[in-house]
Amino acid sequence: MAKIVLDLFRYDEAVDEEPRRERVDIDFNVNATVLDALEHAKAEVDGSISFRRSCRSAICGSCSMNINGVTGLACKTPIRDVLRADRSVKIDPMTNFEPMKDMVVHMDPYWDKYSRLKPYLQPPDRDEEHERERRVSPEDMKKLVAVANCVMCATCYSLCPVVSVDPAFSGPAAIAYAYRFIEDTRDGQQKERVAQISDDYLWLCAHCYACSYCPKHVDPHDRIIDTKRRSIQVGLTDAPGPRHALVVAKTIKQTGMLAENEVIAGTIGRFNFKGLLKVMPLGLRMASKGKVPPLFMHPVQKVDEIRTIFETMEVPIAS
Amino acid sequence: MIKHDVVVVGGGLAGMRAAVEAAEHGADVAIVSKMHPVRSHSGAAQGGINAALGNREDDSPELHAFDCVKGSDYLGDQDAIEAMADDAPRQIVWLEHRGCIFSRLPDGRIAQRPFGGAGSPRTCYSADVTGLVILHTLWEQLERFGVKVYEEYFATALCVEDGIGTGVVAYNMRTGELELVTAKATIFATGGLGRVYAKTTNGYASTGDGMAIAYRAGIPLMDMEFVQFHPTSLKENGVLLSEAARGEGAYLLNSDGERFMFKYAPNKGELASRDVVSRAEWTEIIEGRGVDGCVFLDLRHLGREKILERLPQIRELALDATGKDAIDTPIPILPGMHYAMGGIETDKFGATSIPGVYAAGECACVSVHGANRLGGNSLLETIVFGARAARHAVEYIKSVGSVRQSARTLLAEKSRIAEILARQGGERHPQVRKRLNGLMSENVFIFRTEAELSKAVEGLREVRAAVQTMTVMDKSKTFNTDLTGLLEAEFLMDIAMPIAYGALQRDESRGAQARTDFPERNDDKWLVHTRMRYTGPTSDPKPDYERKVTFTKWQPQVRTY
Repeated sequence: MAKIVLDLFRYDEAVDEEPRRERVDIDFNVNATVLDALEHAKAEVDGSISFRRSCRSAICGSCSMNINGVTGLACKTPIRDVLRADRSVKIDPMTNFEPMKDMVVHMDPYWDKYSRLKPYLQPPDRDEEHERERRVSPEDMKKLVAVANCVMCATCYSLCPVVSVDPAFSGPAAIAYAYRFIEDTRDGQQKERVAQISDDYLWLCAHCYACSYCPKHVDPHDRIIDTKRRSIQVGLTDAPGPRHALVVAKTIKQTGMLAENEVIAGTIGRFNFKGLLKVMPLGLRMASKGKVPPLFMHPVQKVDEIRTIFETMEVPIAS
Repeated sequence: MIKHDVVVVGGGLAGMRAAVEAAEHGADVAIVSKMHPVRSHSGAAQGGINAALGNREDDSPELHAFDCVKGSDYLGDQDAIEAMADDAPRQIVWLEHRGCIFSRLPDGRIAQRPFGGAGSPRTCYSADVTGLVILHTLWEQLERFGVKVYEEYFATALCVEDGIGTGVVAYNMRTGELELVTAKATIFATGGLGRVYAKTTNGYASTGDGMAIAYRAGIPLMDMEFVQFHPTSLKENGVLLSEAARGEGAYLLNSDGERFMFKYAPNKGELASRDVVSRAEWTEIIEGRGVDGCVFLDLRHLGREKILERLPQIRELALDATGKDAIDTPIPILPGMHYAMGGIETDKFGATSIPGVYAAGECACVSVHGANRLGGNSLLETIVFGARAARHAVEYIKSVGSVRQSARTLLAEKSRIAEILARQGGERHPQVRKRLNGLMSENVFIFRTEAELSKAVEGLREVRAAVQTMTVMDKSKTFNTDLTGLLEAEFLMDIAMPIAYGALQRDESRGAQARTDFPERNDDKWLVHTRMRYTGPTSDPKPDYERKVTFTKWQPQVRTY
C-alpha cells in the first residue's frame, strides 16, 4: 500500500462550461492497475468519478483514456509504471473525442468510421444456405487473426495526429478493419473496399508510427502500409497519395536520392498545370532562399546496390 | 417514444444473434444495451464453441448431446440439449459464411480442439479469442442489416400489460431520462451474474440485470444454486485463463509438482468437467498441497511456438497480472466464479411464463447445462437459443395486433429513480455490495454446508434491508454510473438470495452443487428443477419443485471422468 494521487479531468457537458481538475488521494497497491485505482476512488471517495469499463482484462476495449498524456487501456496499465515523481497519475479523456463526462467521451464519430466500411463479409453467395464451411488455408486465416485481436478501444485513433488535423480521416483502427476484409479470401469486394478506404483518406496517413503503440499488438500502422500496397497492386494509382509513393520510390531507385522536383511534379501530375501553378509560389520562395534542388541529378556511387534492394523487396515502381 | 416489433435487451452474443435472426426474417428489431455491443462480456470468452463437425475425429450430435447430459449431472433437459447439439453444426457453418475467423486445419476446414468432459475434439476456436471473433461477426451483421442499437440504455423494468410483455423501461445514460421502449416481443439476453461474488472471471457489467428484471415481473428463476467455478482463474484479479490451455495439453500441478487430477479423474485427468476439476483443486489447496492458496497451471512443455500461436491472450493476461511468463513458469491459479447455469426459466424455444417475453444465453435457463456446463457450450447456447428465441418471437408477433404502451410502468420507474436520487443518510451502494459479495464468496462457494448456507441466507436478509436505503453521491443527469451502479447492486441482491436459498434447500450433491453434509446425488428426490418466485423486495423467494427434468434417451448413471 502506498499513498498516491489521482489527478483527474472532471467535466459534465450538461452543466460545466469548462473542465476542471481534481486531485484524489488514495492508499493503494501500486502493482494494481490504473482502472483498479479509479474503481477504488469511485467506490470509496467520490461516486461521481466517471469512466467506461467492463472486462478489466483488455478485451472489451472500454477503458481507453489518457494516462499522463498517453492513451492506453487503464486496465492494462500498472500504476507503478505511470507514477510520476510527485506520486500522482494524471488521467484525462482520450484525445480526438468530445468529452461527455470525466473520462467518458462521445464515441459516435469513431463508430461511424467503421460503418462507412460496410464492415461485413460480402461473398458472392452470401445468402445461400450452406452445408459446410468454406475452406480457407491456416495461413490465410492467421493473417486475419492478427487483426481480429483488435478490441476497437480507439487508443490508436486517440493517438493519431492526422485525425486531430482532419477529423474526416478514417483513422488507424478502421483501416486495419478494412484490411481484415480486403485480405479475407472469402470476400468478393476487394477492389471496391480498397477504393473506398482510399477515398476515406488512406493516403493521409503520415506514417508517424504513433498507432504502433497498440495494447493488442494489432499494429494498425503495418496494416496501413499493407493496405496502401494493396491499393497500388489493384491499380488505384491515379491520386496524389499513390503517385507520391511511387515517384519517391522511382527517383530513389534511379539516383539513390530524392529528386524533389520530380517528386513534386509526379505527385501533383506532370500535366496538371493548375496544380503545378499552385505550388509555384512555394518554389519561388524556396528559390529566393537558395534552396532549389538540382534540376538534373547524378546517381550516387554504387547506385546498383540501392536498385538491388528495391528489386529484392519487389516494390512496385511507376513506369 | 421508442417502438419496435421485437426488442432485444442486451448486445452480447445471444442478443445480437437474436437481433440478426429477427432482421433476416424481416422483423422490425432493435437492441437496447447498457454498453456498445462490442464491449459485451461475450468477447472475453476464449476457448471455443462446440459443434459435432467431426473435422478431427468421428463425432455426432448424439455424442455431443450425451456429453452435455452427463456434464449436467442429469439435470439438463434432454430435449433441449438434443436440439442444441443438432443445431450446432448448422450454426457454426452460418457463422463461418458470415466471415467468422475460425482457426483452420491444414486442409482448410475449421480446426477443433479437445475440451473438458467431451468425448471428441469438437470445440471450434479462433486461437484463444473465440468469443471476440464471433462478437465481431455478429456486430458486423447488425451493421449489414442496419439494426437499430439503443446504446448505453440501461434497462430497469419489464412492462407487462394484460398479462403480456410489452417492452421495457430504459434509462438513457447520456441524457439521464427514463424512456419507454414498447415492443410486441421482448428478448432478454443480458448475460451473467458474476458480480454477485467478490471474485469472478466476469466483467463489471455482469450484474444479472435481465434475470432480476424478469424475476421482479413474476417470471421464475430456475436452478440458480448451480454456479460454475472455473478451474483456472488468476489469483491476482480473478481473470480467466481458458480451458483451451488444458485442451492443448497443459498440466495442473500441486505444491509437490504432482499432476494431481488423475487422483480425481483417472481417465480424463485435467480434461474432466469443470465442477470436478475445481473441486479437486480446492481439495488440494485445503489439504495443504497448494502454494499461497493456489495450484499451478503449467504450459511449459507445450513450447513457445504453440503457446504463441494458440494461447497468446492467456499468456499475456498472466504476464500482465503476475509478471510471470507462462512459456517458462507455471502460473498460480485457483477456481473462480465463472458462470450461472441457472437463470430466467424458459422452454426449449426461449419463451418464458409471460407471453411475449423471451430469454436466451447465460441469463436464461432452458436448461441445457443442468447442474454443470461443459466448456464450449456457453457460446453455443447463445448462438442456438438466440436464434431460436428470435424465430419464435417473430412467429408470436404475427398474432399480436398492437400492444398497450405501459405508461404506468414508466411513471412508476420515474418516481422510483427520483426517490433513489433524493435519498439521504443510507449507506453508499459500493459498501452494501461489498457485504453481499463477501457473504456469497465465503458461504456459497465450491463446497457447501447447511451451516454456511444458513449464514448466507441470514446475512443476505440483513443486507436486503440496507439495500432499500442505499444512496448515490452523483445526482447528475449525464452518464451517471453511480446511479446505474446502485441499480445493479439492487439486481445483485435480488438474484443472490435465490442462489443461496436454492443451495440451502437442495440437500444433495449434483454437478456444481457440492454439499459436504449431503455428498451423494439423490435421484429419487432431486431430478427436478428449482424454481424461485419473487415475493417482494424484502421477503424471501418462494421455491417450487414442480418442473421435472425431461428425459429422452439417457437414464442417470454414475458420473465419473
